[in-house]
Amino acid sequence: MKTIALCLITLPLAGQVTYPRLLNASAEPGQWMTYSGSYKGWRYSALDQVNRANVAGLKVRWVYQMPTTHMVETTPLVVDGVMYFSEPPSNVVAVDAATGKQYWKYRRKMPPKVNVCCGQVNRGVAALGDRVFVGTVDAHLVALDAKTGDVLWDVEVADYKAGYSVTVAPLIVKDMVITGIAGGEYGIRGFLDAYDSRTGKRRWRFWVIPGPGEKGNETWSGDSWKTGGGSTWVTGSFDPEQNLIIWGTGNPAPDWNGDVRLGDNLYTDSAVALDADTGKLKWHFQFVPHDVHDWDAVQVPVLVDDTWEGKPRKLVYWAHRCGFYYVLDRVTGQFLLGKPFATQTWAKGLDASGRPIRLPNIDPSPEGTYIWPGVQGATNWYSPSYSPVTRRFYLSVWENRSVYRKGDQRYTPGNRYIASVPLIDLPDDPGHGAIRALDPKTGDRVWEYRLHTKPWAGVLSTAGNLVFGGSDEGYFFALDAESGKELWRQNCGGIIRTNPISYTAQGKQVVAIAAGSSIFTFDLP
Amino acid sequence: MRRLSWLLAAALLPAQDETRNPATSPADIEAGAKTFRSHCSPCHGFDGGGGRGPALNTGRFYRATTDAELLRVISDGVEGTEMPGLFYSPDRVWQVVSYLRSLNARPAAKGNAAAGAKLFTELGCGGCHRIRGEGGRLGPDLSEIGRARSLDHLRQAILDPNADVRQRYWVVRYTDASGSRREGFLMNEDTYTAQILDTSENLVTVVKSAVRDYRVEKTSKMPSIKGKATEAQAEDLVAYLASLRPQGESR
Repeated sequence: MKTIALCLITLPLAGQVTYPRLLNASAEPGQWMTYSGSYKGWRYSALDQVNRANVAGLKVRWVYQMPTTHMVETTPLVVDGVMYFSEPPSNVVAVDAATGKQYWKYRRKMPPKVNVCCGQVNRGVAALGDRVFVGTVDAHLVALDAKTGDVLWDVEVADYKAGYSVTVAPLIVKDMVITGIAGGEYGIRGFLDAYDSRTGKRRWRFWVIPGPGEKGNETWSGDSWKTGGGSTWVTGSFDPEQNLIIWGTGNPAPDWNGDVRLGDNLYTDSAVALDADTGKLKWHFQFVPHDVHDWDAVQVPVLVDDTWEGKPRKLVYWAHRCGFYYVLDRVTGQFLLGKPFATQTWAKGLDASGRPIRLPNIDPSPEGTYIWPGVQGATNWYSPSYSPVTRRFYLSVWENRSVYRKGDQRYTPGNRYIASVPLIDLPDDPGHGAIRALDPKTGDRVWEYRLHTKPWAGVLSTAGNLVFGGSDEGYFFALDAESGKELWRQNCGGIIRTNPISYTAQGKQVVAIAAGSSIFTFDLP
Repeated sequence: MRRLSWLLAAALLPAQDETRNPATSPADIEAGAKTFRSHCSPCHGFDGGGGRGPALNTGRFYRATTDAELLRVISDGVEGTEMPGLFYSPDRVWQVVSYLRSLNARPAAKGNAAAGAKLFTELGCGGCHRIRGEGGRLGPDLSEIGRARSLDHLRQAILDPNADVRQRYWVVRYTDASGSRREGFLMNEDTYTAQILDTSENLVTVVKSAVRDYRVEKTSKMPSIKGKATEAQAEDLVAYLASLRPQGESR
């Protein structure tokens, strides 16, 4: 009896991330408890201690260097004074969020050969109760004790030898750990999984590519659905009112030759909305039917309630890799608006249902086809941001083109299944990048902060009326959220391939981002 | 003692680069040629004769000796150069390795290398180009250029220098705070600054916001030898450049 009472008392203590806390994350701006900071996918901090008036004085607080040669794409979490982040390939580190000094590190041993298209990377961890969860490059999901880093359970999500891997930061919904899968360049059959956070037992699986007899399977010719890709490698969002998990899906496989997979290839390159308890599909919107350019819908869905044509409406804002910005109805998935946010030369526009009206001769060809945007898209997996203060949508943009080539390839398990390789960067025509602010209700550009190079870093907006962003040049910078004017920048000396966060340590607002292979934190002296 | 035995054990282990190329059939070579023509030939020439990228038909490679090293270079690219990695599984890359191994032709230069050397001096090429430690440093070091570039590419470079200018030799021009026109070669550039080697061979960081009329021109500072030399003399110069190879290396 006494023990039970003790348990009840200890449950809500520091270090316990409860589902109600996640639901009300906006009430605790000093924490950063999920990948995007809240279920809405805003990557917005309500902290305003650092603001337009004083941001010029921002200084390095601490740096944590990771002993790794892999690319660092992690977004840290901060819970009750402890920062948790992944270190590639699939390690997890817990440090004091005020000092950067390490409490523990979970080191995962990797098999000698793993199958990843684009580096042995990881984008972050999830936290619930006194547990931290990480997906691994060898396609496992692991639960760790938040205080010690000890392994509590370790389950196989899929067979890494067949080209499956987990690089996405999981999302906690209720008592479940939701994880996606990567491997769209290996002819996988993509899915989204929910696991019991206590036991590691799988609750449900949503197959991105429907099986025989299921609706949507008819959009795949022959047996192509078996190897059709449709990965889920960037963390989605959650609408608790409707009990809907909204997640983006990746490219169909093989990437650059669609002849073996005739049809629309549902539900690749789509936004899918799933019942959180069953994983059943409630609605979908496919941005690029029958994609042959590798334009995954791997963006964080931004969920906003606002008026639309005079009436309150639940909306999803989505700037897609193909170069168009979309507004969808969050209840039905209905297309409401679409407009290019970057140079694109493949579509004449979108029809009333949001389906692209393709221009002629845009497909990859043996001799090569020049198309904007390039194969890495007009934006990619790095996070956009929505500020409720300015009511603007912020994102990192690439202005670039690629030469798309078409080839042939047979599927063999565990090998790349892509059917050619585009010329991604043209040495004499490298393109450029920008941070852009859009009016999310119209898709119109409000301002642009131009970059010489194309950024792999996401953006964070704050109540201090700032937008933080980073570049391939190693700079981390703060812009005026209203005008785009640069107010502060710091050279971190390494490519920034991740998303900023903000939290409170010892009463001070801290802004953090990984650059090169280090975590950098900044505050006002 | 313990250390010694460890070293002996290490010596007995098979070297990693003894990995055998598993794709060497005529069909593999043909498939490798197809991949090469679509992905590598824009820089390395249609038949591997070289261009903006080194010639690959000489049987010798800058970054690789063994097949396993070739596989690695082709798969991963070469950091700090324009050579990207090839986004394919090893089975396809092994075929490219086989194709490269099948190439071993290099036409002989027609001109007279000794006459070309004399012309090189007379035209003042050494003002900008260095050969084995002698000469300027504004243009590319030519000490081993004969190994890296095909005859066609060398000929194009001296007759039409603007045909193919590597980023490193793009020219930055701007007006500084005192109103003087400045120029230099682009070594690095970001949103706010550029790092250049100016025409007096100084390493300079240009802060874009502090100068006027900043621009980058993708043209070459090198004059063409057209009009300064006959066609036969141009061939002599090509022959001389083609003869510039690592010391001790025969053609």
